[in-house]
Amino acid sequence: MFLKVGVIVALAACALGLAYKIRLWLTVAIGPEAVGISAGQRAAAALGGLGRAIFSRRLGAMLKALALDGLWQRRVWNHSRLAWLTHICIFVGFLGLLLLHALGDVLTKHVFSGYQPTVHPYLFLRNLCGTLVLVGVGLAIYRRCTLPGLKLTTRGLDRLALVLLAVIIFSGFALEGVKIVSHQSFERMVKEYPPAGGEPAEVAALEAYWAREFGVAFPAGRGQGDARALELGRRLHEETCADCHAPAQWAFLAYGLGKALGPAGVSLAGAGEEALWYLHVLASLLGLAILPFSKFLHLFTTPLLLAVRAGMDRRQLSPANLATLRAYELDACMHCSVCSVHCSVGVAYPEVGNQNILPGEKLAALMRLSGARPGQPSPRELRLIRQGAYICTSCLRCTNLCTAGINLQDLWLAMKADLARQGLGSTYHDVRQALGRAAQPSRQAPVVRLGNGQPAIHKELKASALAGNFSSCYKCITCSNSCPVVRMYERPLEELDLMPHQIMHCLGLGLKEEAMGARMTWNCLTCYHCQEACPQGVRVADILYELRHLASAQSADLEV
Amino acid sequence: MRYAFFPGCKIPYYVPHYGASSRRVLQELGIELVDLEFNCCGYPMSHLYYQSSLLAAARALAMAEALGLDILTPCKCCFGSFKRSMHALSQEPERRRQVAEELAKEGLAFPVKSQVKHLLSVLYHDLGLPALRQRITRPYQHLNVAVLYGCHALRPSRVTGFDHPYAPTIIDQLVEVTGAQSIAWAGKLSCCGAPLLEHNPELSLAIIARRLSECREGGADVLAIACPYSQMQAERAYAVPRPAADRELVTGAVLYPQLLGLAMGLTSADLTLSLNTPDAGYLLSFLSGA
Repeated sequence: MFLKVGVIVALAACALGLAYKIRLWLTVAIGPEAVGISAGQRAAAALGGLGRAIFSRRLGAMLKALALDGLWQRRVWNHSRLAWLTHICIFVGFLGLLLLHALGDVLTKHVFSGYQPTVHPYLFLRNLCGTLVLVGVGLAIYRRCTLPGLKLTTRGLDRLALVLLAVIIFSGFALEGVKIVSHQSFERMVKEYPPAGGEPAEVAALEAYWAREFGVAFPAGRGQGDARALELGRRLHEETCADCHAPAQWAFLAYGLGKALGPAGVSLAGAGEEALWYLHVLASLLGLAILPFSKFLHLFTTPLLLAVRAGMDRRQLSPANLATLRAYELDACMHCSVCSVHCSVGVAYPEVGNQNILPGEKLAALMRLSGARPGQPSPRELRLIRQGAYICTSCLRCTNLCTAGINLQDLWLAMKADLARQGLGSTYHDVRQALGRAAQPSRQAPVVRLGNGQPAIHKELKASALAGNFSSCYKCITCSNSCPVVRMYERPLEELDLMPHQIMHCLGLGLKEEAMGARMTWNCLTCYHCQEACPQGVRVADILYELRHLASAQSADLEV
Repeated sequence: MRYAFFPGCKIPYYVPHYGASSRRVLQELGIELVDLEFNCCGYPMSHLYYQSSLLAAARALAMAEALGLDILTPCKCCFGSFKRSMHALSQEPERRRQVAEELAKEGLAFPVKSQVKHLLSVLYHDLGLPALRQRITRPYQHLNVAVLYGCHALRPSRVTGFDHPYAPTIIDQLVEVTGAQSIAWAGKLSCCGAPLLEHNPELSLAIIARRLSECREGGADVLAIACPYSQMQAERAYAVPRPAADRELVTGAVLYPQLLGLAMGLTSADLTLSLNTPDAGYLLSFLSGA
């Protein structure tokens, strides 16, 4: 009864969760293409697209992807053999348990006529599958605790999935172990299937045999017998029990666990058995209930994405289907962090310390940004997300490596477009604008601030090998004459605030804000014409670089 | 000859034709490339995150040095960024110490021997023009090429050491080996505008459009490029609609290994000419025997 109600409640929760997810797939809008398309239009387009793909020549490619990328997990294999082993252990083990054990009464017994959980080969297979999952979970924990990239990115949902799996499997093994040695289970069975005559002597003989052969732990004084009693027990066992009970040793791990309990097995029988059963069932039902919001969802979403992408050309998708695909891709990510570990700008992490640089974490930010996950980012978080988005060089590596086949490149470009629509253009722009407000160079009121800002800026620039020699400038204007940006404008001062030689002059006067805020500093092409041409060897372009570095550090200080 | 190949971040998505044609031509010339999983060279972050850009350059070079290899990159911005970062690190002991510390966490040693070389430097210095000349099987006839030297390879010349900053000849010579004429034109040593693409797109596109019209006015049939950023710029300029009154652009842009490969007898499919915007296939008609 409890189990029935529990299963119904968990299934209902799971179904509600799935419905909520499907709604998100049809409503979350990422990128300019997704604007203004209704959920109905998206649903119709998705069904149409899937239908056309399935009834076309592309079906072969889709099935192949399902087998190779989904079942065999080729993309994980290509990434790391250890990751593949970890994943395949959990995948095969858990699927095996689901089919041979959890769905035993619903499915297995209809497929295999002789199905009984306690006979060959199911008894052994169940233990094998459970052991596989445990090995996989162990490897996963080991990888997440030792590999620097994984350690850095492991989150609550990763821990929850591993802990839940471990609890389900451990409680299952413990329950089976306790049941194997439980004299109460033995007594229940004897009551239900009494041996031939059911005489006390016969039951005692059977007890002796089961104590020896099956490891049942009886209270003191029971479960013993001489050779004759054992022989009788064996005969009774073969007549009554053997058809449904393979030797308990085949349940190798549970049997070992049960034996390890020793005499404690006697007291654990009954109440302990019941407690373990509740733990096992509740943990399993919890897994089922939260499936749509846990990492387990990828068991369905990822293979489907891998198949779908093999059957389509993304460039030819209608805007409606592109929108749905992008929203769906968010749920195909299982946060394996392959993208983050291999990110080509991950090297900026030690200095910048912003997790949104790493693709896997940036995707989590995109989920919140697009409303696919609760928690709208705060203004400060938005700036961090934007910083991550703009450090990305669009090198395509994360997309090529993604084990779920998500086109991350497309998501990043769409995300940048969305950020820009919200007024969050490049970080570069923002740093410059923040300064600009504080320091618009003004030619109406000449500022001479000798002795004011001077010592600070001199100290800062002098400390830098890039910018240390600005004071050698004697304002010959060669730099400004050679500058291709200056040359693009008829009235450069109106467009650029200051020309390069004037910036050098500002620095000499200690006018740091004016130099940093000038649009020239932020429209420098870094072509190095000025620096190459300077007769005094002033590192003009490097000095402009250094001004941007200082401004960036200053604006980071302001943000935190 | 064996190098660690450093394609940089722009080739895989934006300019795959540059990667494919470089690999194909180098393979044909017997130059072996080793692929490592490199990080970004640090150039794109150098504007705002200086220490990261230094670490990035040192890390990639350290990876190559661990295998005893020099880096070969087809990107002028990667090349220049490596050169400038390693130069800066040689001058700033404190930054160098921090970088070395970060590298040590991964078991990498601060690079001291391995060098970064641009694709064209390898062809010109390591392989040499005579060896290259022998491989030309169908030289161009009457093809006028404008070459773009590329800011970050050329300057600051004391740091990059690519060629003479005011009178460079390497790319002209590499073009003339193919039988084509390298013409004199106004923007040869000037900038393609790429660094400002994200920050000031109007200015950036105006600069590349000016380059493309300058080389047309100089009489070029094609602009030869050896940098993914410049190629991206050119292709964008062709892709955006232009008022009819604007100065006309040169017919197309070609990547140097594509230009060279055709003269070596490779096919347009080998060199992925159709991926260029506009299609660079029109160069076939300038080959002798065409």
